[in-house]
Amino acid sequence: MDVILCATRGGEASIRTQQRAIALAKEQGAKLVFIFVSDVSFLEHYTAPRVPAMEGEMEHLGEFLLLMAKERAEKAGVEASFVVKKGTFSTALVEAAKEFDASLMVLGRPAAHNITTLDYLENTLAKRLREEANSDMLIV
Amino acid sequence: MRRKFTRYGLAVLCLLAAVWLWLPEIRPAHGQSGGEDDPEVRVLQGVLTDDTGEAVAGAEVRVTIDGTQQDVANTSHEGSWEVELVELPRNSLRVEYSHPDYDNLPAHGVDSGALDRLLDGAILDQGQLRLRTRPALVLVGILTNEQGQAIVEAEIDVFYDDSAEPVGSAHSLETGLWEVILPRPGAQAPAESVTVEVSHPHFEVDAYQLAPQDVEVLSDGESVNIGQLEMTNRYTLGFWVATLTFVLMLGIIAFERLPNATAALFGIGVVFTTTFFGGEIVPELYIFNFERALAYINWEVIFLVMGMMIVVSVIESTGLFQWLAFMAYRWSRGEPVILVIVLVIITTLASALLDNVTTMLLMVPITLEIAIALDLPPASLLVPEILASNIGGITTLIGTPTNILIGAYADISFNDFLINQTVGVVVALVVMTVYVLWHYRKVFNQGEKGISPTLYAKLEENAKIKNPTVLRKSLFVFAATIFVFAIGENLHMVPAVTALLAATVMLVWVETDVQKMLSLVDWTTLVFFMALFMMVGSIQEVGLIGAVAEGMSNVVGSNLYIGVFMIAFGVGLLSFAIANIPLAASMLPVVEYLSGNISGAASNKILYYSLSMGAAMGGNGLLIGGETNLMTAGVAERAGYPLSFGKFARVSVPVTLLTLLVGSLWLLFRFEVLGG
Repeated sequence: MDVILCATRGGEASIRTQQRAIALAKEQGAKLVFIFVSDVSFLEHYTAPRVPAMEGEMEHLGEFLLLMAKERAEKAGVEASFVVKKGTFSTALVEAAKEFDASLMVLGRPAAHNITTLDYLENTLAKRLREEANSDMLIV
Repeated sequence: MRRKFTRYGLAVLCLLAAVWLWLPEIRPAHGQSGGEDDPEVRVLQGVLTDDTGEAVAGAEVRVTIDGTQQDVANTSHEGSWEVELVELPRNSLRVEYSHPDYDNLPAHGVDSGALDRLLDGAILDQGQLRLRTRPALVLVGILTNEQGQAIVEAEIDVFYDDSAEPVGSAHSLETGLWEVILPRPGAQAPAESVTVEVSHPHFEVDAYQLAPQDVEVLSDGESVNIGQLEMTNRYTLGFWVATLTFVLMLGIIAFERLPNATAALFGIGVVFTTTFFGGEIVPELYIFNFERALAYINWEVIFLVMGMMIVVSVIESTGLFQWLAFMAYRWSRGEPVILVIVLVIITTLASALLDNVTTMLLMVPITLEIAIALDLPPASLLVPEILASNIGGITTLIGTPTNILIGAYADISFNDFLINQTVGVVVALVVMTVYVLWHYRKVFNQGEKGISPTLYAKLEENAKIKNPTVLRKSLFVFAATIFVFAIGENLHMVPAVTALLAATVMLVWVETDVQKMLSLVDWTTLVFFMALFMMVGSIQEVGLIGAVAEGMSNVVGSNLYIGVFMIAFGVGLLSFAIANIPLAASMLPVVEYLSGNISGAASNKILYYSLSMGAAMGGNGLLIGGETNLMTAGVAERAGYPLSFGKFARVSVPVTLLTLLVGSLWLLFRFEVLGG
């Protein structure tokens, strides 16, 4: 059974990504794994000692968000699970793709003004996923 | 004839022999018979020491015989003296001692027994006599800048008449006080004039002539206090370097180009490089030395912040804040208006008693979960929490870093903050809450109430108290800490000591893993404070703060109303974009100066409270106004709920202006109407 990974978080834009991933999984009869990457390294700029505690809190928040996504998928009749990873976004996604042997990674499109991120996803991350995890990437 | 002569000679000899033998009996009483015929030399000697028993060298010893001064001697290095009396006293023998640095001993006579021994040819030893050290002859004054603030480490030289070399020199102390010890008249005395020359790298060199009556007093051997001397600022190259570096530091912090501590260290690094390398080449580049820089660090603040960091770290590890947020959700039964009110109350209390950055950080994830559960825009809960956390801290000394700075600088106690600010803060919070509820009224009416049992269970699990035993103990210690903060004033115990004691109890009794607890202390913040204090010191040293104070004073004058509004709104509006901690730190000397010009403000400290309100409430102005705002926005953004600059400003700007107005009006009511 194919595995589709869906990198997601909260918010309206993420719901659209989740719905597209659910539709794809249903269409392909694939298993869906939602992934949330908890990265609070930006807090080191302000208060480094709080980072470990905040990583734990963000992990809880991620699980809560992914539980909601899982409920949505199951409501649509798709088998789903979730995983929360710590660390930098791209490394965590590549690791998860390898871990679940995912054939496809579904990601939300960055906001229109965020051209740099889109370029990074389409070129650098897509290449890494292909080369390191043999996964395709779909930006929706 | 010859026989006759021999007979007379024998008779004289016999007579002389009889007289010689009978002498003690026939010798006249003292003063009735002279010793002038006695050819033997009599010796009078003694030793002079000071109060401590140290030998007094160079003292003058005068011997007066029968009312006429006869002999003078000077004491040796060992303090000993010796006078050879060529003439013997008939009536009296008196000895006097004098030295410019000591009080003269009263002249004393030699008693009859001693005089007998002296006349008998004995060496008369007066023994050891002690001279009392005479109070130094000093010229005292206070050195200030044009704003009346003390000038420290200025050099003061005192010249007598037209002498090229100073007769005395000194440096001004922390309070601007200086005292030059002058030679006592006798050794050296001013004939006509005394000139005091004062110099400091950041002020014009000035020379002051003493008034003739003061010169006369000095000549009489009395000390003189010439009062306050004012120096004129000199805007050197060092002034411009320190000023531009400070502005650059504020810019780096505002635009987050570097962490705060790095920015402040960079700033002080530039200042020291300019002083020690540049100052060697171009003396005008001198700003201040390391010793002066260290003097600006307020260690009371450092230890208070450090102690409270340990206390808060223990409490936060228990999951209390998350549990409280979840309880707010339960108590409100999903009703958004009640939920907002309860969250505002919880955030306010937590921020007043603990570090508001930590409080907010730990509450953000659970608040997001609650907002998602209620299908509310997370901003509708996060924004009031941010606003409440910034406002709530104003009520106590430990509620905000700016209050800690203000309290330590102006000696405002925990109780003072509580008594003088709480009502104003509560009214401001009510205004804020009403505005927020009005702003989000539409979304509050649309939210769905209720989530799936699985999600509810997850929410509850995320909000569980992690270690009830540690929580019970830490809350007990914390309650005791607050109690000691409140009574500490009566024990003359500064808050930093209370915080350190509380931290010690936490480490000994509650959480004994000292390595772990110390790793939770935010050392970078402490380094930031230390470097910041030195940076603020540098702009104070070169005269920038004085110039700002003077400029503000021209506007405020002695009008309390203008002073309160100008400080609150001026600092508040600047805090929209500039980090409020460096801003408040640099404003403290300015507020001190302004307080001195307004009747009653120096004693009731109203302008310091105004600064406290301005800095904390102003931090709410924009998303970039405070670390709490930025960190909350950062966490929300990473969870997929970005809190935009514009969205935040639509609520925060009106709320900030309203709360600044409420806070200022309260302060005026508190001190002008209620008095105190």
